[in-house]
Amino acid sequence: MQNIQPQYNNKVLVIGGGMGGIRTALDLAEAEKNVILVDKAYAIGGLMTQLDRTFPTNNCDLCTLSPNLSESSRQEFIELLTMTTVKDVRGEKGNFTVLLETAPRYINLEKCTACGECHKAYPECVRFTPGLDHRAPTCMRYPQATPQAFSIDLAKCTDVEALMKSCPAGAINPDDMGRKREVHCGSIVFSPGGALFDPSHLDYLGYATQADVVTSLEYERILSASGPTMGQLVRPSNGQQPKKVAWIQCIGSRGLQKGAGQYCSSACCMFALKEAIVTKERFQDDIETTIFFIDMRTMGKDYELYYLRAKNEFGVRFVRSRPHSILREHGKENLTLTYSAEEGGANLTEEFDMVVLSTGFRVADDVKELALKMGLELNADSFPKTDGFNPVVTSVPGIYVAGVIQSPKDIPETMVQASAAACMAGSDLGPVMEKVEREQEPLPLETGVVGEEPRVGVFICDCGENIGGVVDAAALAEYAGTLPHVAVAELKGHGCSRESMQQIQETIKAERLNRVVIGGCSPRTHEAKFQEVIRRAGLNKYLVEVANIRDQVTWVHANRPQRATEKAKDLIKMAVGSVVRAQPLADHSLPMNKNVLIVGGGITGMTTALQLANQGLKVYLVEKSAGLGGLATSLRRTLEGGDVQAFVKDLVLRTESHDNIQVITRAIIVDHSGMPGMFKTGMQTGKQMFYRQIEHGVTILATGALPNRPSLYLLDECEAVSTQRELQTLIEDQPGTVKAWDNVVMIQCVGSRTPDNPNCSRICCQNAVKNALHIKEINPDARIFVLYRDMRTYGFQEEYYLKARELGVIFSRYTLENPPKVEATDQMVNVTFTDPILGRQITVTANCLCLSTGLVADEDSNDELARIFKLPRTGDGYFLEDHVKLRPVDLPIPGFFVAGTAHSPKTIRESVAQALAVASRARTMLAKDSINLGAAAARVDKNICAACLICVRSCPFGIPFINADGYSEIDPAKCHGCGMCASACPAKAIQLMQFEDDRIIAKLEELFERNIA
Amino acid sequence: MDNFEPVIVAFCCHYCAYTAADMAGSQRLSYPANVKIIRVPCSSKVDALHIVKAFEKGADGVYVAGCLEGDCHFKNGNSRAVRLVEYVQKYMDEIGIERERLEMVMMSAGMGYRFAQVATEITEKIRKLGPSPIHAAISL
Repeated sequence: MQNIQPQYNNKVLVIGGGMGGIRTALDLAEAEKNVILVDKAYAIGGLMTQLDRTFPTNNCDLCTLSPNLSESSRQEFIELLTMTTVKDVRGEKGNFTVLLETAPRYINLEKCTACGECHKAYPECVRFTPGLDHRAPTCMRYPQATPQAFSIDLAKCTDVEALMKSCPAGAINPDDMGRKREVHCGSIVFSPGGALFDPSHLDYLGYATQADVVTSLEYERILSASGPTMGQLVRPSNGQQPKKVAWIQCIGSRGLQKGAGQYCSSACCMFALKEAIVTKERFQDDIETTIFFIDMRTMGKDYELYYLRAKNEFGVRFVRSRPHSILREHGKENLTLTYSAEEGGANLTEEFDMVVLSTGFRVADDVKELALKMGLELNADSFPKTDGFNPVVTSVPGIYVAGVIQSPKDIPETMVQASAAACMAGSDLGPVMEKVEREQEPLPLETGVVGEEPRVGVFICDCGENIGGVVDAAALAEYAGTLPHVAVAELKGHGCSRESMQQIQETIKAERLNRVVIGGCSPRTHEAKFQEVIRRAGLNKYLVEVANIRDQVTWVHANRPQRATEKAKDLIKMAVGSVVRAQPLADHSLPMNKNVLIVGGGITGMTTALQLANQGLKVYLVEKSAGLGGLATSLRRTLEGGDVQAFVKDLVLRTESHDNIQVITRAIIVDHSGMPGMFKTGMQTGKQMFYRQIEHGVTILATGALPNRPSLYLLDECEAVSTQRELQTLIEDQPGTVKAWDNVVMIQCVGSRTPDNPNCSRICCQNAVKNALHIKEINPDARIFVLYRDMRTYGFQEEYYLKARELGVIFSRYTLENPPKVEATDQMVNVTFTDPILGRQITVTANCLCLSTGLVADEDSNDELARIFKLPRTGDGYFLEDHVKLRPVDLPIPGFFVAGTAHSPKTIRESVAQALAVASRARTMLAKDSINLGAAAARVDKNICAACLICVRSCPFGIPFINADGYSEIDPAKCHGCGMCASACPAKAIQLMQFEDDRIIAKLEELFERNIA
Repeated sequence: MDNFEPVIVAFCCHYCAYTAADMAGSQRLSYPANVKIIRVPCSSKVDALHIVKAFEKGADGVYVAGCLEGDCHFKNGNSRAVRLVEYVQKYMDEIGIERERLEMVMMSAGMGYRFAQVATEITEKIRKLGPSPIHAAISL
């Protein structure tokens, strides 16, 4: 039992406000834990804010995450300190003391409205935060930048007084001194992110001398519609559109250049593929794209499909090679790339207009310094060393890492580790104490509006240039003022800024408004915010309507401003017509069931169960087979040397003996109903297959994957042929046999990356390296041949691959078109393959042929579960997450989560990280005591209802029933709010609240009144 | 009728088509401004009454946009909407409004591109059909 810590250090300090740090802070805040988030930059967001789009969806995803941070409900738990660095860390787990230093911003955050006047007047001395330095100031792609404020570079300012006068809000404060401050916290999450390798010193690559040699991040900026060239893809040297672009992989990675890390940077292959695809999408046949690479490492979920699309659909060219130099010959505009291809080895040359260097990640010097200050043990590449089974645990108890600082990785994996670190750091704070009543202004009583004449206030946002740049927003407000029932119509800069919201509240009170229309962005993202605004002004929150004049007008009709203005007027008129008919409504809520159902009792399921059970939640752990442990019961060692059996045994013991965990084995899930926070799942259990039902609030799928076993290369036909898993057991149990071997051949990608199963199994390359090293340990004279297609030893696995090569393991590449041939001879196997470097066929008589068969989705179980829970799956049968980039363990249906190999193939450490991540995600939901069901429920008018049963039959959830009084009754707490019954009711006795017929018809009437006249 | 600008009402499900329309916005995909969206919680919330009212008031075209088959947030709302649209189309034949003016489309929330494409195609189709016969009836 942990001691309850005193209040003052019951906080988590998160260092680094990139995507990972933000996720950690949000997870903790949603679980009602206090967080201090520090970042040395002017605004949070980290590296991702500089990306144009992200793989594999090619979307700009930043906006999906950043608005969350400004949500006041979460903000009360997060203290955000930008421009702040950590100077010193003392103490231990449960009681750290940290010295923070905040640099002066010279702007008062409370007053700054990010209006941009100072930047307009003195662009040289204002650091523009919302759009970031690389982006054009007019770009409001990142309008919710947190904090939304500018920052002044006082050193560049010559006339401070004039600068101060340029600010209408009086926010500029040249006397800002910055400050030092000591904070106390119970645990620390270290997520400072990675720096990018600087190739300037590598003169043969020409980065320092040739303008047309750029890094992948620079290319991203050039490609971006909001970048320095306003989206024109041009050569920096001459401003012309390039016709031939080359990418060179592994710059600063895999120990290939001076100063490069020994590891693989993991994300650059996908990064280059994305840039090449986006380039091809835009210019098609007008541009040639070529990627020069060593191994194409697309080992993430569905990433192989992305690679195949780049090759087959977009015509990106791939050249397996090593670069020699990039030069510009005298008198020529183009760059000459000299490289040696895999075959032949002779130097080849080719001209390009632009060359992109795919630079990898490294640990920045100041980050290394801080890591050492915190006492973290570092590896040779300055990354903190982490636990063999838990990648977020460092050598110092109470300090956790997440993201690139743990090992180079992409965004989804960073998000997983961020949630995992939140889980670990949050559990160090000890059990949640009784909820502290937060100082909250009591909400004013709701003003009665029923029967009152409608007085509508219309507030139009110009949203920077987003709306005002296309339509005349002031004229729009003026037009709104002429509409019936409109008492006030005003133009607002950003309606969602703190200042505007305050003004709207004051106007509501001063003008005695009883309805509000916002002309701005989408109600999907901002309705809740404006509901809160009018509620604070004393109105029922359902008396507001948002007219979507940005996402559905100015953003899509920018080329037709006249038509856009007309449409915006229509939408506002429709919203006014609808809102005057809006009636005050009450939210329905139900108590949250805090029990957890976990399906699958492998390492992942048990890890999640233990985390949640330790936090006081009741967990039902349901396993299909007779015992716990899953696939890991047949594994022995990890690549890093961890003892898997000991790890699993300990997990099983702790799981089975935990008071809060009920393990149900031999259980098959058969039915499911309810909604997030109150699910009911039925299963048949035990030898007798008795039926039982469990009530729970969240569902976690940790059902794992199955080892693949394709009938290829004499598997199950010849005794000398085995899988990597079987070989591992043999090495451990019969070292004598291994000692007697002369030749061992391993074949990679058996049953993976084929037309039938196109994805990569991710785990096999490191498995082969692991077993090869182990054989070499026992029998140093054994000759080991690994026949591979691409070695995918990402991150620090690369170091083991290097070690295997140093020990003489021979890696030889084969292609899908020309696979190795095998033939059984007595107790041996003849393996014949073509070595591309020697350019000839080789036959090896092997004592052991070992196949890397990887994992496949558990098709039968997943199909059944997906049907029962109504969950989507990927093409190859794994569960499909809600957002592949930002919400990798949340499933699209609220209350459902996925972790481990049920998500996609992964190593034990990666499964553990996901297991911790789902525990954190589930915790955020279960922190609430009730489920708010909103007000959109169907309501029956008993005076009209004829009890015809049509609603009873139409409801997909079986909620309406005919009550004792003889009319239909719908329980608002059970109603899902689809409105099917309302549209089916022949007497129109049913209305769906918020979407009543008179409001929909009012919209139609308002729309056509003008159009017909 | 060269400069005929049809008015088209799109009843969009909150969970898919409405989100796809926002997605089209964030990707800056352009489509004709003739399409006016009315948000509904599910395509099955759309009633014959709403569709007929839209035509009565002067809509040149109406479409209901729901989730892809099998993806309805409320189990089967989208297939009910398909049936409703077919049902209303029969009556449109009877009252003399071309049934082509009413359509059911399906898409997922991520299909911003498809939203813009559908909006463009339907607008062009209605533009070719010309103004709704209701306009002639109203001006009588």
